[in-house]
Amino acid sequence: MEIFNLEIAIANFGPLLAGLLMTVELTLVVIVLSLVFALLVALGGISRFAPLRWLVKAYIEAIRGTPLLLQLVYVYYVLPEIGIRLNSFTAGVIALTLNYSAYISEVYRGGIQAIGRGQHDAAAALGMTGALAMRRIILPQAIRIVIPTLGNYFIGLFKDTALCSVVSIQEVVFTAQILAARNFQYFTLYTVVGIMYFAVSFPAARLVGYLERVTKSGYRRRRS
Amino acid sequence: MSAALPANRRPMIEIEGLHKHFGAQHVLKGIDLSVAVGEVVCIIGPSGSGKSTLLRCINHLEVAEQGRIRIDGQLAYRDEVGGAFRAHSNREISAVRAQVGMVFQHFNLFPHLTVMGNLIEAPVHVLGKSKEAARQRGRELLAQVGLADKEDAYPEELSGGQQQRVAIARALAMEPKAMLFDEVTSALDPELVAEVLTVMRDLAARGMTMLVVTHEMNFARQVGSRVIFMDHGMIVEEDAPARIFGAPREQRTRDFLRTVLDR
Repeated sequence: MEIFNLEIAIANFGPLLAGLLMTVELTLVVIVLSLVFALLVALGGISRFAPLRWLVKAYIEAIRGTPLLLQLVYVYYVLPEIGIRLNSFTAGVIALTLNYSAYISEVYRGGIQAIGRGQHDAAAALGMTGALAMRRIILPQAIRIVIPTLGNYFIGLFKDTALCSVVSIQEVVFTAQILAARNFQYFTLYTVVGIMYFAVSFPAARLVGYLERVTKSGYRRRRS
Repeated sequence: MSAALPANRRPMIEIEGLHKHFGAQHVLKGIDLSVAVGEVVCIIGPSGSGKSTLLRCINHLEVAEQGRIRIDGQLAYRDEVGGAFRAHSNREISAVRAQVGMVFQHFNLFPHLTVMGNLIEAPVHVLGKSKEAARQRGRELLAQVGLADKEDAYPEELSGGQQQRVAIARALAMEPKAMLFDEVTSALDPELVAEVLTVMRDLAARGMTMLVVTHEMNFARQVGSRVIFMDHGMIVEEDAPARIFGAPREQRTRDFLRTVLDR
């Protein structure tokens, strides 16, 4: 049985760290895109225009009913057959964004619906149109409510990017696979990868916990 | 306070034949009502009598199926063309609402904005006022409701009475032609009611046109130019406060007043 080999770990640390940076980059790009896209999906889902609601519903159910891994390979391997050729990073970003937006749009929707009738009434009575009230009154409160939930989803996303190794994005798992194929130091390499994931997720989870406390503590004047 | 029906004054709010159902329930059964400029009309009646619904219809928070509402002479929320109704666009509806202030039982302040943020939100984003002008006016209104030192506070940091006074100032910031008060002291602790009523008295004295749904009989008696008693979706009786409270004509009014005044 192999044991943890510190020399190997140090020798391969550079490429693995580069892989981790790719993982983080992929995560950040998908976070930004899905925050925006999911909001559009959520607003579509509560639209007064019924066909738009149906479209949103169909999209969400299709995404939730199929594995992320399948969605990834679909975007990367199947779309080229109908002439849509994407590089691996773009394919990964698109698949992850489509997948996470489906879930996150439901989070947004829950947040929007958690805002009471009184807020809508007050905004309307002040002459605000529905769109203005949504932008200025409802969404700011709804987003605050869902921040901790979003944080947890994005920690999940950070780990799910590992699936992108199947479309050969040079993220940290794919990098470790390539290195291990050369030197067979599975134990060492994958342990380092595990520690790297943990080193990012654990503080991120603590940060989410902190945000949860802040957002639950209500709206207060900043003491200066 | 004199209480003759102000036939000689311009009507600000006119309601004709208003009907409203919630499902099978007929909650407004043909309401006719006129509020003249500067009048303070108080609506009293048992809960479920349709008072709040009437107020919400005036602001189109509820949509009446039948009847006409005029605000300052203009037909509101829909037009009538040859007997058929044409609903106004959302933008037109919002424009009418912006002219009528409303204060709610549960304040409904915007919790994510400071007191000043609450006051300037609609003047800036609906009326297109500059932030500085809106703040200026906001400070005057906060002084008027006795909360000049609270502009940076968040609503949650205030007592119920203070929140309700902010809500009144927020409605006034739109420079409304009339104000609707929907049981604005009902959710308050008893010791906080007076401060809100004081602000409302002051507003009435300044000549604001007010339609006030209330359980505060003393307020209706002392401040109202006219009192309306509603029951089961109808106006049972309307008269000067001295007559409603002193010598009501209708048995239902007498019964109601006996129950609320005996407490």
